[in-house]
Formats: sequence, C-alpha cells, structure tokens
Amino acid sequence: MSSTEAIIDTDIHQSWASFEEIRRRLPAYFQQGHFKIPGGVYGSPIGVSRADAKPARGGSAGSDYELLCSQHMDAFGITYGILTGSGILGLGTHPHLDYGNALATAYNEAMRETWFTWDDRFFGALVVNPGDPIAAAKEIRTWGGHPRIVEVLMCSATRFPLGHRSFWPIYEAACEMGLPVAVHPGTEGRGISNGFISGPPTTYLEWHTNLPQNYMGQVVSLVCEGVFEKFPTLKFIAVEGGLAWIPGVLWRLDKNWKALRSEVPWLKRLPSEIIVEHVRFTSQPIEEPPKTSQFMELMEMIHADKTLMFSSDYPHWDNDSAAHAFPRLPDELRRRIFFENANEVYRITERVAALEANKPELEKEIA
Amino acid sequence: MKAVKICPASEIPAGGKKIVEIEGKSIGIFNLNGEFYALRNICPHQFAPLCLGKVTGYNAPSEVGVYDWCREGEIIRCPWHGWEFDIKSGKSIFNPHKVRTKSYPVTVEAGGSGCDHGCDHEDESVETYPVTIETGHLFVHL
Repeated sequence: MSSTEAIIDTDIHQSWASFEEIRRRLPAYFQQGHFKIPGGVYGSPIGVSRADAKPARGGSAGSDYELLCSQHMDAFGITYGILTGSGILGLGTHPHLDYGNALATAYNEAMRETWFTWDDRFFGALVVNPGDPIAAAKEIRTWGGHPRIVEVLMCSATRFPLGHRSFWPIYEAACEMGLPVAVHPGTEGRGISNGFISGPPTTYLEWHTNLPQNYMGQVVSLVCEGVFEKFPTLKFIAVEGGLAWIPGVLWRLDKNWKALRSEVPWLKRLPSEIIVEHVRFTSQPIEEPPKTSQFMELMEMIHADKTLMFSSDYPHWDNDSAAHAFPRLPDELRRRIFFENANEVYRITERVAALEANKPELEKEIA
Repeated sequence: MKAVKICPASEIPAGGKKIVEIEGKSIGIFNLNGEFYALRNICPHQFAPLCLGKVTGYNAPSEVGVYDWCREGEIIRCPWHGWEFDIKSGKSIFNPHKVRTKSYPVTVEAGGSGCDHGCDHEDESVETYPVTIETGHLFVHL
C-alpha cells in the first residue's frame, strides 16, 4: 500500500484516562456509586487491549491521544477514523433505562468536547440505548446533525432481534438525520441482553468465536421484519461480527424465501439483494482461511466491493494492521474496502469539505 | 558473524528484557535466570512488535480439565494477537504458519503491502541471535 492511499478506519476505540470524564457529565443522581455498567463473566486471559497500547502515563489503552496517533493513525496512515468508544455499549443492557440513557448522553458529550476537538481526522459514532428506543430517537435527533457524527451505534446484543418494530423509532430518527445504524459486539450475555442461542459457553475463546451467531440473527430479523422496506434509505452496519458466515445466510435465506415468501410478503426481491444494498460489514477480526484463494472467493461471495469496510479495532488484542491484515488485493477492490464503501455511508469527504468551508466563519467568530 | 556490544549484563535483571536497534533491526534481549537470549522484534503474523508483549508461561497440551501451567518466564506472547513463542528457540508454541499456510504463494512486498495470513513462511519461528557475555558486557551476534 502506498502511503498516499486514503484509509477510513471504521472502528477505533478511544477512551479517557478515567471514567470521571463521563461520570461528571451525568445528572447528579446517577453520579452516585451504586450505578454500574453491566459487566460480563468472560474475561480475556490475554487482556482485552493490546499489551503495547497501554499509555506509559497510566490509564486505559486508547486514552492517550498522542499514543493513539503515533501508534495507529500515523503509523498506518489512517486518513480518517470513526471513534466507537470503550466499555460503554453495555449501557444498552442495563435494566435501568434512565441510567442507560443518561450514560449515552454523557458519553456522547465527552466525545464531542474532547476527541472531536483534538484532531480533524476523527469522526464518531453517536451511542444510544436500544433498551429505550424513544429516548434513543431523541438523542439521535438532538445530536445526529453534528458534522462529526457519522453513525448511530448500539450494542449488538438485545432482548428482541433488531427487526422488531419496537426498535423502529431508532431507524426512523436515523434516516431523518441521514445516519446509518451500527451495532458492535461485546455485550452478549451481559445485563438484560440475550447470550448465545446455544447457551452460555465456558471460555472467552468460545464466547469470542460465537459472536457472529448474534449477527446472523440480527441481519435476518432486520430483513424479514421489513425494516428496509419501511425505511428504504436505512443502512445497517455490522461492526466486528465476522464475514465467513455471510454467504451461508445469504444463500439459505434466498432459498427459504422462494418457498416461504408468503410469510413475509413485503419482501419483493431476493433477501440477499436487500442485504447487499442495505447492510455493511467491517473487516476486523479478519478471517484467515488456509488459502489466499479461499479468502478471495469469500470476498466475491460477500460482495466485498460493495459491503466491506476496513476496521482496525485499535487498541484491542484482536486488532488488525491496516498494512498487513489483508492479502494483496486488486487495486479497485482495495480502494472500495479501505475507503470508498465507508465514504459512501459516512459521507466523509462531503463532511470534510463542509467543515473546511465553515472554518473561516468559525475563525471569525473566535477572533 | 558480527558481535555487537549492547550494554553491561547487569543492566538487564533476571526476568527482564531490553529492546535495541542493531543495523536497522529491532531486537529484544531477554534474561532468563542468568541466560541471555535475543529475538527479532517482529511477530510473523501481522508484524507487530513481538518483544513488547508479556513474558509468561503457557498451559502445556493436557487431558480435558487439566491445566498444566509451565515454563513461566520462558514464553513471549505477542502484544497484539497473543501468539506464544519460545524465547529460547524463537519457535511458535502451536506452530501457526505450518498449520495454516503450506500452499501459499509468498508475496512480501517492499513498502509493506501484502499478505501475512496468506504468506507461506517456510520458517514458522522468529529469528534468534546468539548472546554472549564478555567482561561483563552483553554481545549479540548477527
């Protein structure tokens, strides 16, 4: 890859030196110590973060702006990065909806007031609480128009599959604000969310391997419940949910639809076509089949030229190198995966141009 | 082979390590109970800085339900994806490349583009270098 090639990294986990940065933005009642984000029992034996990403000055990985830039943005020539937060999405699995909503609002404010002001390369995900879709929609309408907010983000583990119409206010608000809706794994089995369909596994190894299960259920639900018919401009982004399961679901769903379409008469074309049009997948943790030829076949099967977006997941242990995770790709496919597909859903170049155009105004105001 | 003087041996205590740059190569030097070993500071997987990882042990292959933690202090675990390597030999504990890549074409490109999980490294291990002590100083032999 030449260093001049533009890259959008769709999953960067920034954080802060301390949770205090979020806590102090909560309403006074929720600053009391008895409120906790639901945790999980599946601890990574090798740590959730890269061992070389912990800042020397202390604090969690991803909390040091200079280190994040030198170790990741600059080292790999990342042109733009989408910030997705750290340890926050569990708010969507809290039974106390008001607390979950308050956390989302406080987190979003912290991101706007710190990371967004530190570097023009950062765009971000607006975190919302899927446990309370009405409140989530309100947060989306309030802050979704911020020029650096490029998507709505929530945890991938929910109580009902995401096609369920109780979630539709989220999609309606997102479409209104021109934002895609993304989900990110990590909360499976936490709080009030569902775990895996086969039951709770024993180890982190099993838990991590099983994460795509949930993504299958969510994508099939969104398609079959008619979410993309109801909200034809909606894009759904499956972050960090794996890739190799996609062909199986596309083919099985198409086959079943041919026989069972009367159950979902609002689906008027092959479900696989709907998925390719409306769903985007992020690449990390990249799957590593035994042969490069198999990887390239997978790219074709999942229509990677339209559906796949590069993500690093920095600074987590399973993060991917922008330079070395993929086998050598044809130039056009590489450009689609590393920049164009993401630029289409996030409208980054359009946003950058608008921000540039507004800069003189802002400078005038400051002066 | 060329001997490169590094530092007084006392500078790296038992269980410690030091990462140095020798002729453009980043190399980690480890003190395992008074014996010194040197490893190339690059993981063969995605080229992460291997020697920045944790020095640890590992569970040896065992029966179901048995956890045989062994060789504490002799294993370096890559700070990114957790692959384990024997500090003494540079060999991967589970031999990932042999498992994964037998029939791959090699495509290592200048400038860093190109495959890694797609690479057929015939040699699945990390490069090691002999370390000697002379008059209290460590020398790495390249």
